[in-house]
Amino acid sequence: MDLLLKYITLEDPNVRFVVVAIVLLGAVSGMVGSFNFLRKKTLVGETVAHSMLPGVLIAFLLSGVKSPIIMILGAALSGWMSIWLVDYITQKSKIKGDSALAIVLSSFFGLGIVLLTMIQSRFSGNQSGLDHYIFGNAAAMTPEDSTTFAVVCLVVFVLVMSSYLSIKATIFNSDYAQSIGISRKKIDILISILTILTISVGIKAVGIVMMSALLIIPPTAARFWTDRLVPMLIISGCFGALGGWLGSFISYYETNMPTGPLTIVCVSIIAFVSMMFAPKKGIVYQRWNKLLLRRRINEENLLKAAVQNEVRGKGKLFDRAQINTRQYFEQKLWNRTINRLKNKGFVYKVHTGYTLSMAGRNYGADIDRRHKIWEVYLQRRMQMSVHLVHDEAETMEHFLTPEIEEEILGELGLCSRFNPLLEIHEIIPDPDIA
Amino acid sequence: MDGFWIVLTGFLVASSTGMLGNLLLLRKMSMMGDALSHAVLPGIVIAYLISGSRASFPLLIGAIIMGLLTTFLIHFFSNKGKIQGDAAMGTVFTFLFAIGIILVTKYAGQADIDADCVLHGELAFVPLQQTSYFGITAPDAVWTLLLLFTFIQLVFWIGYKGWLLTSFNSEFAASIGIKTAIWHYSLMAATSVATVVSFESVGAILVIAFLVVPAATAYLITKDLKRMVVVIIIQGFLNSFGGYMLSNILNASISGSMAVISFVGFAIVFLVTKKEG
Repeated sequence: MDLLLKYITLEDPNVRFVVVAIVLLGAVSGMVGSFNFLRKKTLVGETVAHSMLPGVLIAFLLSGVKSPIIMILGAALSGWMSIWLVDYITQKSKIKGDSALAIVLSSFFGLGIVLLTMIQSRFSGNQSGLDHYIFGNAAAMTPEDSTTFAVVCLVVFVLVMSSYLSIKATIFNSDYAQSIGISRKKIDILISILTILTISVGIKAVGIVMMSALLIIPPTAARFWTDRLVPMLIISGCFGALGGWLGSFISYYETNMPTGPLTIVCVSIIAFVSMMFAPKKGIVYQRWNKLLLRRRINEENLLKAAVQNEVRGKGKLFDRAQINTRQYFEQKLWNRTINRLKNKGFVYKVHTGYTLSMAGRNYGADIDRRHKIWEVYLQRRMQMSVHLVHDEAETMEHFLTPEIEEEILGELGLCSRFNPLLEIHEIIPDPDIA
Repeated sequence: MDGFWIVLTGFLVASSTGMLGNLLLLRKMSMMGDALSHAVLPGIVIAYLISGSRASFPLLIGAIIMGLLTTFLIHFFSNKGKIQGDAAMGTVFTFLFAIGIILVTKYAGQADIDADCVLHGELAFVPLQQTSYFGITAPDAVWTLLLLFTFIQLVFWIGYKGWLLTSFNSEFAASIGIKTAIWHYSLMAATSVATVVSFESVGAILVIAFLVVPAATAYLITKDLKRMVVVIIIQGFLNSFGGYMLSNILNASISGSMAVISFVGFAIVFLVTKKEG
C-alpha cells in the first residue's frame, strides 16, 4: 500500500521519469496507431519498428557516439526507407502488401543483426546498450528521454490537430477527399511521419515488438467503444497511457519484471475486456441480444400457431401436440417459451391446455398478417413463385415493423385494414388445403 | 567441414520453410510467419521450465501447441470479436510475445535461457554437437532438420491438391465440400513446426526471411506452384552459401547474412521483372 502511494505520488525520482515517459509513449502511440488501424495498415508499425535497427546501428557506426538524437535520426531514416520500399514493391510488382511488409521486415532486420554482430566483434565496451533497441529497457530512461517523449507528444498532437479534417476525410472516404482537393499522398506521408516519429523515440524504451504492439492494441481495444474518430483517438490514447501506467507500476512493484512487455500485457487485457464486455460491440452484449431475438422469435411463432389453430376451428384450447402440427417445439423449448408467454400475460393455463388472452391473440394475429402481407408482396412485386414465398415470409414476419407494414400495404394498393386471413386464399393456396 | 554443415543447415531450413512460405504467400498470409515465430516464445519457455531441459522434443510440443493456440486466438478475435484481420493478428502475437519475454526475464536466473538465444539462434554453433546415425556423423541440428525436411516434403505433396484448391478459391473449395478450416489449421500447424524446428538452430529472423523472401522471388518468376518449389530450393542453396560467404567476409551473424543475401536475390529478380509505370 505504501509502495502504491509512493508510486502514485511519483515520489521516487527514479520512477518518475520512467512512468512519465511510458505513459506519454502509450498515449501517443495509441493515437497514432488509430490512424494506421483505420487505414487497415496495422502491421506497418511492425515492419517499420524492425526496420529501424540497421538505421540506429549505422548512425552509431558513423557518429561513434550513442547520442539519442542521432540514433533517432538514423532510426527515422531507415524507417522511412522501409515504408517507401514496401510501397515501391507493391506498386511495381504483383507482390501483395502483406508479403512486401514481411520481405522488408526480415531483410532490414537481418541487415540489422549483421551490423550488430559486426559492431560487437569490432568495438568492445562502448557498444553495450545497443541491443536495448531490440528488447527495450525502460529502466534506463533518463530525464532527457522523458523530455524527448513530451516534445514528440506535443509535435504529434499539433500535427494531428492542424490537419485533422483532411486526415479524417482521407481515412473514411479517400475518393471524396481527393475530389475536394485534399492530396491523398500528403496525408499518407503525414501519417507515415507520425508513425515513424513515434516508433523511433519509443523503441529504446520498450523494444521493437512491444513498440509495434503499442500501435496495434490500444486502437483495437478503442474500436469496441466507439464509431467516431475523435472519441476513438481519445480512448485509444487513454488505453495506451493506462497500460503504460499499470505496466510500469507492476514492474516497479515486482522485481525482475520488464516494463515494456508488462505494458503490452496490460493493454492486451484492456483489449480483451473491451472485446468481451463493451456495450453494443462486445461479445457478451451481442450474444445476449441474439438470445433475446431467438426468444422473441420462438414466442411469436408459438402465438402465431395458436392463432392459426383457432382460426381453423380447432377450438380455443391448445397444447403442445396441437401446436406441433404447425410449428415444432421440443419439450424443453415448449416449457420455456410457454412459461414466458404466461408471465407476459399472452396465454392462460386452462386445465390440461392453454388458451390465448386478448393481447396474445392480437399479437399472434399481427404476426400472421405480416407473414401473409410479405407473401403477397413477394409474389406481386418480386415475381417470386408461390412455393418459395412461404419460407422467406417465415423469417421476415419477425422483422416487419408497423411502419414498414403500412408502406408495403400502400405500395400494393391495399387498404390498411386488409385482412389477409379472408383474402389470402385467392392468391395463395393454403398448404393445409392444397 | 564446419562450413559445409552450416550451409547444409541453412539449405534445409530454406527449402523446408520456403515451401510453406509459398502457400502462405498465395493465401496472402505472409505476416503469419512473423506472427507465429513471435507467438511461440511462451510455449518454448513454458515447455523449457516444465521439462527443465533444452531437449528439442518438449520445446517442439510446447511450440506447436502455442502455434495452434495463436491461430485459434486470431480466428476467435477476427470472427467472434469482429476485429479486422491484421489487427487481430497483431494483437494476439504481440501479446503472446510479451508474455514470453516476461517469463524469460522472470526465470532467467533459474534457467539457462534468454531471449537472445531463443530469437537469434546462432548458426555458428551448429557443428559443435554431433551425433552418429547409420555410421554417418553429422550435427544434431542437421539430423533434426533432415527429419523436418522429409516431413514437410511429405505433408506438402500429400496436401498439395487440397492446399492448392483452398488457396486459390476457398469459396469454391468450400462449396464442393472441402473442409477449408482443416486445411487452414494444418498449414498453420506445419508452419509452427517448421518455424520452431528451424529457429532452434538458425533464429527467428532467418525463419521469417526464408519463409517469405524466396517464395516471393519465385512468385515473381513463375506462377506455377511446382516450378515455384524448384526455384525456392535453388534459392535455398544460393542464399545459404552466399550468406555463409558474406558472414565470413564481414565477420558477422550467419543468419543475418543469409537474410540479407535472400533480399539481394529478391531485389535482382524484382528489378528484372519490374512493371513499368
